[in-house]
Amino acid sequence: MSQHCLEIININGQASIQDLGRLNAQHLGFSAGGAADEFAFLTANQLISDHCSMTEPNKHQSNCPAIEITLGQVSFRANTECVIAITGANCKAKINDTVIKNWQCYQLKPHDMITFAMPEHGLHSYLAVAGGFTCQVGQKPWLGSFAQTQNEMALGFTGKPLITGSKLYCSADANDLARHMPVNANKPISSPTQFYAQHSLTLRVMPSTLFLKMSHEQQQHFLANEYTISAQSNRMGYRLQSKPEQSGSFEQKILAESLRERCLLSSPVTYGMIQLPANEQPIILMKERQTMGGYPVLGSVMQTDLFRLSQMRPGEKVNFTLINHQQAQQQLRAFYRKFSLL
Amino acid sequence: MQKKSLNTVIGKRASNPRFQINFSLDIVAENALQLSWKSEILIAQHNEIIALQSLIKHQLDAYVIETIASYHCLMIYFRHQMITSTEITEQIKHLAKHHQQPTQLTDNSLSVDCIKIPVYYDIEQQWDLAEVATRCNITSNEVIEQHSSTIYRGFALGFTPGFCYLASLPDTLHLPRKSSPRTQVPKGAVAIAEQQTAVYPNQSPGGWHIIGQTPLPMYNTCNGQFNATINVGQNVEFYAISKVEFIAMQQGLSA
Repeated sequence: MSQHCLEIININGQASIQDLGRLNAQHLGFSAGGAADEFAFLTANQLISDHCSMTEPNKHQSNCPAIEITLGQVSFRANTECVIAITGANCKAKINDTVIKNWQCYQLKPHDMITFAMPEHGLHSYLAVAGGFTCQVGQKPWLGSFAQTQNEMALGFTGKPLITGSKLYCSADANDLARHMPVNANKPISSPTQFYAQHSLTLRVMPSTLFLKMSHEQQQHFLANEYTISAQSNRMGYRLQSKPEQSGSFEQKILAESLRERCLLSSPVTYGMIQLPANEQPIILMKERQTMGGYPVLGSVMQTDLFRLSQMRPGEKVNFTLINHQQAQQQLRAFYRKFSLL
Repeated sequence: MQKKSLNTVIGKRASNPRFQINFSLDIVAENALQLSWKSEILIAQHNEIIALQSLIKHQLDAYVIETIASYHCLMIYFRHQMITSTEITEQIKHLAKHHQQPTQLTDNSLSVDCIKIPVYYDIEQQWDLAEVATRCNITSNEVIEQHSSTIYRGFALGFTPGFCYLASLPDTLHLPRKSSPRTQVPKGAVAIAEQQTAVYPNQSPGGWHIIGQTPLPMYNTCNGQFNATINVGQNVEFYAISKVEFIAMQQGLSA
């Protein structure tokens, strides 16, 4: 029996299967993982959903596993007819030799090649299909999710890393849909670039109790700094560097030793926490973070800003401003409401 | 050498006390609350944490996605689309005020079976046993004797699947983490750092001092479930085995 799939013909960047993550296995030590940029991931699913709704108005998808492509440079060959959506960083994708627009649905036919180049801006692109992609035939979610994480993959969980020759399976439904409901013309969409930052981003932070114990001057020191995203950043965490001369006007360290000494025991950490190791170069915990941490925490970046941050590259700049948790919660609710995730 | 009884550590409690609001409640994300107790490794405090964790899981099931306990904190992920952080904070305070701690957990933990972990305390492979002995100013045999004569408790699972933080090591064995972590620690490595000891479930990088290796797997998977060998709140002790026993057990387990 032939399986419906896309096959990776060539890959130079990175790709993995992602959904909204494995939120309820952190107590066992599993990283939550999940799509780095939920805005692009959910939009990809929504595009598929909107397409399906033309024939099946009740069929809705939001958390179906999609392929997350980091820094493009991957090509797939279709061995089935299917409808795909592409979103996120613009990789000037082509179907065979035709350049296609980002943030749209397309029809693939058997033997079509879809190619992603290195994007000029941003990091992550998403490729979604009706019902989602899996890396094994008839794969079941592992502890509630299909999201792949490096550490767990090395242990034999969450499937095998995607490499040349890997097959990404989709369901027979996806094939039926494509045959009965071909994509003839895409609706013109306004490119959602307004969601993303241009070359610098102000991250809105809910301060921790530790931050509130710091002196006004120390708080201002942290908030006044401009930070550069370090080359050591990845899906686990974003490492930031401040310029040494910026700190010149501040006599004290951001975190006094007396406060640092209170933070010795490891404790659970969440998405967006800002850790401050002794070198005072902050680390923002991202989707593929470990579950426990031992560094002092200054606060947590609100999640809708983390989706924006996940598309930023080493060398780009960020700074911080404060927000209260009610406002952050309202923003996240509004964000999910747009994707009918309430 | 006599094993130190946990009773001496916990003390006896006459009746079931109510939970006290002796923790702080902080909203640490749009969907997460952190409860924090005194920053110390205390069995009585940890009993309170896991008792409250169990109560929250059962009573607020509709709102709670996940709870993670550690030495002195409890992280609670909640469905922020259904309940605001202010509302769930109030509900947790209310629960803590109006419920008694369950008997079995305040009594003490000796009723729970002690997990026995065989360890080949190894000098041959040049791990850190000899160095630990030198730095602690005792012999390697004394390191082994002290490490294997204490009953430890699982305080937190994390870092990597199946890694359980165990405490407390005898004072004589306390050492800071290695200044430069190893890039590869073998599967089953038994290691120590500060007041803690643990078993690395798989080969991974690690900054703790390795004093031995166990053939016992730290987790198994069955029908899509993940079962850690050591769970939070359980008691653990280590016992020494020879190299021959280690190899026999390793082969027996993999056969």
